[in-house]
Amino acid sequence: MTKINLEKIILSIFFIVVLFLGPGVLFGHKIAHDFPFAYSASDAFQHQVRAEAIKDMGNFRYEASYISSGIEGTVGRYPPIMYHIAVVFSHFSGIEVYDAIYFIVVFFAIIAGFIMYLIIRDFNKTVALISLPLSMLIFSFPISIGFLWGHWPSILSQSFLVLFFWCIMKKDMKYSYILIALSLSATALTHTSETIFAFIFLALFFAIKLVVKKLNKNDIKNMVLSLIIFFIISIYYLLIFQNTWARGQPYSFAVQPIWEGNPGFYIAGFGLLLIPMIIGFIFSMSKLKSLHISIILGLAMLIGGFLNYIGFQLRSFQIRFFWPIYLSIFMGFGIYVLLKFVVKKWNFTYTSTIFIIVAVLLAGAVKLPILKQTDVQVIPSIPSINRVTSQGMMDLHHWQALKWLSENTGQESKIYFFYGDIYNQDAMLRNSKRSHHQVDPDDFVKAIQDRKIKRVYVSELPGDTGGGITIMNSLFDFELATESLPSEYFFGPQDICKFDYIVFDKVSQQQVLAQYNLLIAQELVNKDYINPVFDNEVVVILKNNQAGDDCIEERSF
Amino acid sequence: MIALKKEVFELVKKELKYIGILFLLVLIIFKIAFFKENLVVLFRSVISLFWLFVLPGYFIMLYWKEKLKFLERFIIGIALSAAIIGMSSYYLGLIGLNIKYHAIILPPILILIGATINLRNRKA
Repeated sequence: MTKINLEKIILSIFFIVVLFLGPGVLFGHKIAHDFPFAYSASDAFQHQVRAEAIKDMGNFRYEASYISSGIEGTVGRYPPIMYHIAVVFSHFSGIEVYDAIYFIVVFFAIIAGFIMYLIIRDFNKTVALISLPLSMLIFSFPISIGFLWGHWPSILSQSFLVLFFWCIMKKDMKYSYILIALSLSATALTHTSETIFAFIFLALFFAIKLVVKKLNKNDIKNMVLSLIIFFIISIYYLLIFQNTWARGQPYSFAVQPIWEGNPGFYIAGFGLLLIPMIIGFIFSMSKLKSLHISIILGLAMLIGGFLNYIGFQLRSFQIRFFWPIYLSIFMGFGIYVLLKFVVKKWNFTYTSTIFIIVAVLLAGAVKLPILKQTDVQVIPSIPSINRVTSQGMMDLHHWQALKWLSENTGQESKIYFFYGDIYNQDAMLRNSKRSHHQVDPDDFVKAIQDRKIKRVYVSELPGDTGGGITIMNSLFDFELATESLPSEYFFGPQDICKFDYIVFDKVSQQQVLAQYNLLIAQELVNKDYINPVFDNEVVVILKNNQAGDDCIEERSF
Repeated sequence: MIALKKEVFELVKKELKYIGILFLLVLIIFKIAFFKENLVVLFRSVISLFWLFVLPGYFIMLYWKEKLKFLERFIIGIALSAAIIGMSSYYLGLIGLNIKYHAIILPPILILIGATINLRNRKA
């Protein structure tokens, strides 16, 4: 009785710690913010805007045109669950979608840590408690880029993948096939590549079962029923997936040891923790015959995280965001095995003491000594949770401007964005909720070098082309909406006079760029039909009331 | 039969008390983790988590009450409810029910389904 209470107390304390140091730090210890907070890359905005669009449209039949390069009527091809959960949560809580979607992803990642705890607990309660603190490392750098850079669908899908593992563990329960089917469908409808990893796990699990001669009729019946229900639930979206993502990004063999352009996580990143992890791994292999899910999933996801060597590319690197959860069994088991050599009569005091030590170390609460005058640690590295809050790319001034555009301009208005330091992460511009172009920075800089004010600038029509912007004519008839469009539609010279609103940043890290922006703006307002309609410390928006007219004198300066 | 039904009601009553206590505990934990946030936002967030995920999840998982302890059903129910709400919301949206109604409609449906199946199971 006492043990059970202690376990619950430890779990509660862990929940406080992980919530405080994880989302607490990430979100600046707030849930609701004045603008998208801790968004550090375009992908994060991409997901946020899609959820906003679903909230506006009421469903995800179509992708919004301002996301699809101005093309109307294209099918909603992204896996829908994350957006729907976020919007439903936003509606009920009253929290803005940009906060709700981020919160949901982080919250369910923590829940996944607890589900993994339940899985390992089924193997050994002591090992489960020792393993639990490792899950905090999903908030350590570089793993935390999964949150910061917007790999949210993969993270949420992996949370459902952990649920799926639990369901497989309970496959002998009555009607467990329903739970298996639901969790597998959830992975497919959140980020479909994780479903592939679920099948890799299943293949390994049943292969081991076959080898140790424990595969029975009931297992097969259960899996067949699960798969039938899975296909019934998922078939509609899977057809969309098959005709968009699967067609646009087919598998191809490639060896990719490094995740180019991303601060990926590599196995050595576990540092000193690799010692107990390797020991735990070695000892657990002898337990493979017991067919415990915690060990098989650890092995499967370790392999899954290395499939970048055979063409799984970023999908494998994304699996590593959850390595601290999947591989926690090996660390916990390793520590347990090591200490069992020393401690003959184990009791809960040992378990809780080790839990606290591991949690404190991984929380970064103890500063390990470094050699004087150097940054070399006396004790080799132990990864720890990130303790720094960053507001990310967005700021209140830009957010006000984007919100203003979405709320005060006509639906058909065309927006032109001149240079802004943060606009290279172009998905954020979709928050204008209007069709928009942005100036090509190279042409913009060249114009400054040539000392010219122009009417036509090389411009980009930003939009989300991932999976291919596709029109769904019927369940089995899909067509690429961009096929007949010339490349100049997306990138080429644009006459700025044809736009209804023109957006200028007034500040830049290279002030000359902002000065040139203001020079153009000044030239434009010389026309009496062009007026500033929005102005704050950072952004000014001009309205062209006679779009198409000769709005600017081309000249040198 | 009546005794069996009563037994289920007693269990639900007892466990709903646990959920009530957990609600307060989570609210306190949220106040610690998000200490800069005002209470209204915290309260709305926690109540949303419980309404959308905890309660539907609890009632769905109630079917396996003999196999699984409360803690396990509680945690698994949260993730399972999220999965079901996400999928149902997608398809309901496609058939024309605006997403703004889903937060009101879906949880009671799941709670009702969970409760009904559970009572039927007892009858069987």
